[in-house]
Amino acid sequence: MSEASIQRLQSKTTLKEILEVATEFERTARDFYTDLIPKVHKSIRYLVEELATEEQEHYDLFTQMAARDDLEQQLKVEVERPTSDHKFSDCIHLPDLGEQPDDQAVLQYALRREHAAMEQYHALAQGTEAGPIHDLFLYLANEETKHKNELEKLYYATVHSGGV
Amino acid sequence: MFELDRSQYPQKKADGTLDIDLTSGKYLKLWQGPQHPGITGNMAIELTVCGDEVVDATTHVGYLHRGFEKLMERRTFMQCFPIVCRICVPEPDFNEYCYAAAVEELAGLEIPELAHWIRTLILEMGRVNSYLMYLGGQAGAFGQGVIGQWTTYVRDLMLDRFEELTGARIYHMFIIPGGVRDNLPDGFAGRMEETLREIESVLADVDRVMFHNAVFKKRAVGVGVIDTAWLDSYGITGPNARAAGVAKDVRKDQPYLVYPELEFEAVTGKDSDIYTRADVRRRDLLLSLDLIRQILSRLPKTGAVMTKLPNVLHWKIPRGETYVRGECSRGEYGYYLVTDGSGYPRRVNVRGPSYTHSIALFERMVINANISDVAALLVSLHTYPPEIER
Amino acid sequence: MSISDVLSPFTAWKNLFRDPVTIKDPLNERPGAARYRGFHKNDMDKCIGCGTCETICQNGAIDMLPVEGIPAVQGDSGLRPRIDYGRCCWCALCVDVCMTGSLTMSNEYKWVESDPDLFRFTPGVDKKYWDNAELGYQRHDEKHLMPVAREEMPELHPEARLDSFVEIVQGYNIEQAKLEADRCVSCGLCIATCPAHMAIPDYIKAVRDGDYERGVQLLYETNPFSQVCGRVCTHCCEDSCAARHEGDPIAIRWLKRHIIDQVPQEKVIELIGKPAAPTGKKVAIIGAGPAGLTAAFDLARLGHAVTVYEAQAAGGGMTRYGIPEYRLPYNALDRDIAVITAMGVEIKYNQRVGTDITMQQLEADYDAVVLAIGLHQGRSTRIPGSDHPQVRKAVDLLRQITAGETIDVPKSMVVIGGGNVAMDIARSMARLQLQHYGEIRVTLTALEDKAHFLADPVEIKESLEEQINILDSRGPQACVIDDNGKLLGLKTWKVLSIFDAERRFAPKYDPADEQIHEGEMIVEAIGQMADVSLLGDALTEKLEWNRGRIQIDPNGRTSENWLWSAGDCVKGPDVINAVADGHRVATSIHRALTPQEATA
Repeated sequence: MSEASIQRLQSKTTLKEILEVATEFERTARDFYTDLIPKVHKSIRYLVEELATEEQEHYDLFTQMAARDDLEQQLKVEVERPTSDHKFSDCIHLPDLGEQPDDQAVLQYALRREHAAMEQYHALAQGTEAGPIHDLFLYLANEETKHKNELEKLYYATVHSGGV
Repeated sequence: MFELDRSQYPQKKADGTLDIDLTSGKYLKLWQGPQHPGITGNMAIELTVCGDEVVDATTHVGYLHRGFEKLMERRTFMQCFPIVCRICVPEPDFNEYCYAAAVEELAGLEIPELAHWIRTLILEMGRVNSYLMYLGGQAGAFGQGVIGQWTTYVRDLMLDRFEELTGARIYHMFIIPGGVRDNLPDGFAGRMEETLREIESVLADVDRVMFHNAVFKKRAVGVGVIDTAWLDSYGITGPNARAAGVAKDVRKDQPYLVYPELEFEAVTGKDSDIYTRADVRRRDLLLSLDLIRQILSRLPKTGAVMTKLPNVLHWKIPRGETYVRGECSRGEYGYYLVTDGSGYPRRVNVRGPSYTHSIALFERMVINANISDVAALLVSLHTYPPEIER
Repeated sequence: MSISDVLSPFTAWKNLFRDPVTIKDPLNERPGAARYRGFHKNDMDKCIGCGTCETICQNGAIDMLPVEGIPAVQGDSGLRPRIDYGRCCWCALCVDVCMTGSLTMSNEYKWVESDPDLFRFTPGVDKKYWDNAELGYQRHDEKHLMPVAREEMPELHPEARLDSFVEIVQGYNIEQAKLEADRCVSCGLCIATCPAHMAIPDYIKAVRDGDYERGVQLLYETNPFSQVCGRVCTHCCEDSCAARHEGDPIAIRWLKRHIIDQVPQEKVIELIGKPAAPTGKKVAIIGAGPAGLTAAFDLARLGHAVTVYEAQAAGGGMTRYGIPEYRLPYNALDRDIAVITAMGVEIKYNQRVGTDITMQQLEADYDAVVLAIGLHQGRSTRIPGSDHPQVRKAVDLLRQITAGETIDVPKSMVVIGGGNVAMDIARSMARLQLQHYGEIRVTLTALEDKAHFLADPVEIKESLEEQINILDSRGPQACVIDDNGKLLGLKTWKVLSIFDAERRFAPKYDPADEQIHEGEMIVEAIGQMADVSLLGDALTEKLEWNRGRIQIDPNGRTSENWLWSAGDCVKGPDVINAVADGHRVATSIHRALTPQEATA
């Protein structure tokens, strides 16, 4: 485990730091999906494109947040590091989905990722005081939950169709 | 006073037409009906009178022709069911029964025991209504209006019983091919008993005021005699025949439904005049009240009311023909049904007893009658024009 | 006559002192009896607009009319009975015959209006004060005017069928078929529901009339796969049958089979008649399944030269290689296909497009190409160990069984899946196990609970009869493999719930309830996909796609104007939908190949 990772596992951290990791999380995901688009079969490209768009939207949210002057003080506040943090940051390390991953592989990866994100944002929302940052995490947790549900439905319809 | 044999007068020519000079001023053509207080329903009598004596009469029907028999040839067997009752308004149930029984016979259907009992009950209830209506009409034909008011009141009570049993007062549409539509409602027998008692009470009054009435006797006794020799040649049935002393009653002669299990004797008279026919009907009415009591005390309390039918929307009945008859208040009611294997009756012929009684027989009986007796005579034959014209 | 006859009538005077018997205020004091046949009521929640009331009404008093706010949906025409009380004779046959019991009568008989047109209204839609009347005519509890129970289908008992692939359903004899056909009320709700819009009431009438030749002609108007659909159709028609509301739906599928079973194949071909004169146009069809062959049949009948490329050795597609023979005998399928080839359709078997001939070649050689390749690739759960060689896919095994290949029958096996394919493979393997080892050891695990199985209820019933051990609510976690690499079985967790409150897929497992189901083989039967590799990279990139499937217009044409696609591969699995799709693309192709007259 790298020096940076160990530091991440320490129990206290600042919101700023968390936000940075989260921003990185969304950015890498966006880039991952964007890179994947030409690699997958055209029939499932829509799936990867949708995932990339989704992540881009979240990334935009975070960068706008970081640019806001009024939040400077709050970002320095120390918060309890969520227990889900390690799962979440693990997801930043991107797996190799192979030469031409199929829809099931993409969906499985995306599901795992959304799940980790959902847990992380939920925990962060609980650990922050009421305010714009709290609202942001709540919003993100909600977004990720919705997204995960959509993906699960898609996964079920695609893979477990029952094959009448 | 004319002393010769009235039946020979007026004389006829070789071609059968009357040997009279209508332009002589001695004769008068008189239409009784179709709108006339002295007519029964929608028909008319064209009378030729000489003074107050009828010398010739022609009945005119056709005012009420609805073409039921033809209509039925274009309706499925189940679709015929709601229209047959309309053939005879005052006593519609015989149409329902005869039609249903004919269809069941040709289709090879057995109907449940309970349905037989309920059918019999309904037919007797209908007979009661029919006679009550007749009594009012017979008295009214002699100008005695109050009897009709009384009998209409108790007939209304019986219509209440019909309403609670069948869901309708006049056109009951309850005896359906396959059985009857439902069982008796709760407490029906009790309410029927009250009705029967009220009818009996009114009939006691009718007996006092109509039958023991000097005017009625004066007008009705010895008038409109039907000769027993005419019975077969004119096809005379029912009370018209029984008043002549001949015990013709389909309920006895060719028992149907549950009549074999009921205790009764055919009601007869002997003088065969208007009075006797009225009296036979009054006593037959009392018999019906008794039969209703017998039925209600003996019918099964539970059980199926209908047999399983095929899908009635395309019910086909094998080729065949049958004649089903029953004893209605006027005599023998019958349905002749021919089927050809299709979904529609090939031919239906309805025998309403009024047809023979009120056309052929009446045209003969009215000759030489006094014009003031014509209405009473027609009523005494118990005429329902709707069944003449199907 | 005596003196008493003079005095007696005077007793009538006693009535002077009686109270009148007339009801003083009949409009308010005289409600109709409990059974009174008064103005109609119609329960809009129950009425399906089948129009049986209109059919039986001998007065023509009932008209079925559209009603604003009541759309036509599957099983409901959206029409409602409007009753003309100038015609109604109050016989209540409409109530007696009503297929849902929605139509009843109130005991209300009094209604005063100056406008006669108001006496023509739609009960239940046009609100009336008697709509909530408690009394009034109700039909007898038992429905008397038609039989409500389905004629039982003779089937082989489990002991008689378990050791072979003999067809289970025996088919109606003529008498049984007539009785079943008799129950149909010809409302036509089924026609609207059937994807191919088969003339169902008409061919059922042909059964009633015993006119099977007419029946065959009616079948072939809309469906060249009556042997197949008469046996394995998903029969959504029966789900919208008016008879299902108060009894069993008409056995439409079995009646179709009955018709086609009655007429010899040569006669069928004769009845259909010869195809139209050749047009000189050539069409290639990829896949000899129901969609491809239906399109082939239609196009051949229109005079086009049709060549069908089929990768397998025989036609029928998934109906042959997916559906076991005990449900659909191969000879039945052969009969349907023989009629199609008799129309001049050439089927090239063992010709795999992409391998034996390329799409580019087809594009060059033909005026139009239809892609009807079905869903022949099985999905995998991809749980740990699922790459073991003894973990198989149901579609592959079923194909092997049909092809007559030797299968290493396991003594025990586990099937993953709760759909019809899972049942098919479980029951097929059970038969093979019985033949090989004299006993059946098949466990079937499904994510769903029994109430939500995707398989037909009859499949589940018959599987249980055939000793399949069906375990519901089990989520597969891993294929258990011992140190020597031998497959031991399947590890599952109990499924607590599959769907969340919003009915989305969100399985929740209980790891504490872990089970290992013994099996030398595990068969995955969770779903299928189309193998589109035959398209090649260039065509794949050229084509437009829509959420995983080739994009088609409403007529089945793809973004490439020479290529159409039909059937399971674009519409999902269903035989009758595939047939309907085949018709659709055939029509579209014919229009494209026929020179249009210039419009002014």
